[in-house]
Amino acid sequence: MYKRTATILNKSGLHARPASDFVKEAAKFNSKITIKRLDEDEEANAKSIVFLLSLGISQGTEVEISALGDDEQQAADALAAMIESGFGEL
Amino acid sequence: MKLKGNAVSEGLALGPIFIYSPFSVTVSENFCEKALVNENLSKYEETKKRAGQELKDVCQKMQKEDPEKAKIFVAHQDILNDEAVNEEIIESIRDDYLSPDWAIQKTYDKFAKMLKKAPDPLIRERAADLEDVRGRLLRIWYGAPESNLSILTEPVVIAAHDLLPSDTATLDRGNVLAILTEIGGSTSHSAIIARGYEIPAILGVPDLLKCVRDGQAAIIDAQNGIIELDPDTEEIKKFKERKKIYIEQLAEIKAYLGVEPLTADGERIDIGLNIASADEEEMRGENYTDFVGLFRTEFLYMGRSDLPAEEEQFEIYKRVLRAYGSRPVTLRTLDVGGDKTLFCLNLPKEDNPFLGNRALRLCFSHSDIFKTQLRAALRASVYGNLWLMLPMVGSIDDIRRAKSLLEEVRADLSAGGIPYSDCLKLGIMVEIPSIAVIADLAAREVDFASIGTNDLCQYLTAADRMNPEVAPYYQIYHPALFRLVGQVVSAFNSAGKPICVCGEMGGDRLAAAALVGLGMRKLSMGFASVAKIKKLLAGLTIRKAEEIAETVVSLQTAGEVEAYLRKNLT
Repeated sequence: MYKRTATILNKSGLHARPASDFVKEAAKFNSKITIKRLDEDEEANAKSIVFLLSLGISQGTEVEISALGDDEQQAADALAAMIESGFGEL
Repeated sequence: MKLKGNAVSEGLALGPIFIYSPFSVTVSENFCEKALVNENLSKYEETKKRAGQELKDVCQKMQKEDPEKAKIFVAHQDILNDEAVNEEIIESIRDDYLSPDWAIQKTYDKFAKMLKKAPDPLIRERAADLEDVRGRLLRIWYGAPESNLSILTEPVVIAAHDLLPSDTATLDRGNVLAILTEIGGSTSHSAIIARGYEIPAILGVPDLLKCVRDGQAAIIDAQNGIIELDPDTEEIKKFKERKKIYIEQLAEIKAYLGVEPLTADGERIDIGLNIASADEEEMRGENYTDFVGLFRTEFLYMGRSDLPAEEEQFEIYKRVLRAYGSRPVTLRTLDVGGDKTLFCLNLPKEDNPFLGNRALRLCFSHSDIFKTQLRAALRASVYGNLWLMLPMVGSIDDIRRAKSLLEEVRADLSAGGIPYSDCLKLGIMVEIPSIAVIADLAAREVDFASIGTNDLCQYLTAADRMNPEVAPYYQIYHPALFRLVGQVVSAFNSAGKPICVCGEMGGDRLAAAALVGLGMRKLSMGFASVAKIKKLLAGLTIRKAEEIAETVVSLQTAGEVEAYLRKNLT
């Protein structure tokens, strides 16, 4: 298991296009990936857009990405980097 | 024949009815033989593939016409291919022998329910997208063709049971004169789109589809929520005249939306926005207003069984504060009582809920809930210019008690090293007469006040504004109301403290002129009134406003006041 934390920086949070990009990126990896809001205990399958949206992650929320599998490190790092770049919206 | 419904988007239209009945089905529980499982799995994959192709096609088409709309179909493709959704559908078919149509219905329903539970309205909206994709899959499964509103041959009035996101996204905007649906209200998806497109819409018309015929002529009066079918020549003539005037007025008013709110002699009257939530539609007046005069927070507590957590409140308050930057945001603390059903709070039924344990009083008796809200607000205060406002204040005791609770919250935050703004302002709503009458004393205790004229009028005239039996007694042009408001304005102006009106009177052009004449220099209102009030001010001098105010407080009845105002403010 490999974990990374990151803070959502972009204005629209993990909604709409950012969510879509996030899920597409997660789908590239074999590992099982979950994303969790650090202010709540809820976690979701990072490859499911519906689960992701239901978490309601907005700007400023700190999240933890956990990946389990042969490419767990690349997966978590890639997703964290995506979040930290603000999904190109900054 | 006349039909009635909820007018959710303003306007007037005349045209032929176009009945839109897209394929719809409700699948019932349906299982298959084990032997058919593999066949069913491939049929599902095939259906999904075709849905994907349809979405891809419409998405491409939209990219050329309106890239914003194309986003909806990208989102639909994401949903169609959602890993969790697909996993569950496939498992149901393979392991539980569900028929694919039933598997689709059941799974999509489950996920839609999940989204509908979310407190954020933006997320709840996404449930409509899930239903849309489910509808598309089922339509393809049953072999029905795609029907849509994207190619209309002439301008029409659409009549449907309901409109889904994919319907409204692809609609041929230039040819839609009005939208009518059997279900839905002001917050439905269709209403939001109609308002965004500025298309008149009347929703919630019972048995609409039974009453109309394709091609039937209809007059749509979305000012009053009335549909007139098969109008005669006289009615059509009258309607055309009415529409001409309406369009002229609309254009004139629009011209004023973005102007600076100055009177004819150059005095600035600050215009504030009243908002009932933090979503995009509510906030669309942000560009045209100087402050938020009333940020209602009840929406956070309604329609849910759990109380809104501090974090959730904090995020929302922060959003609004950020949007307004250095401009004040007047956040009103929880203002509910026994008249509303709150699932998250078991409020006992009272005989007189408007005179009962509500708003601030409720906050005192449930101080943990109050403190959570105060904490969230204080934490958010570092992101903007927060003005905290207490509702239902009836005495100086109320103010002092609230202040001491606020102090406790401040101390807690400081002890925890959590920052909050030192510049935040604390004020009150003036709605209970007992505080209005001692406004001078209140002005010493607080930083500002806002007059809630709806409730002030109610308490003053002793008439329940929700009871149609006593509607004639609830008089917003009652001379007593103007006199009392005048007193409050004077008291706060003398104390050098900001005073505003956030009740409906502020957005009423007749009353607003008198309010300015009484000394009011801040008015807060719903977005719909902003342009019209700015226009009123542009045609008014302070001197005229003062003359109007002087006369109004000397008249004897509400009827006289209204007649006088109408006569003098054409």
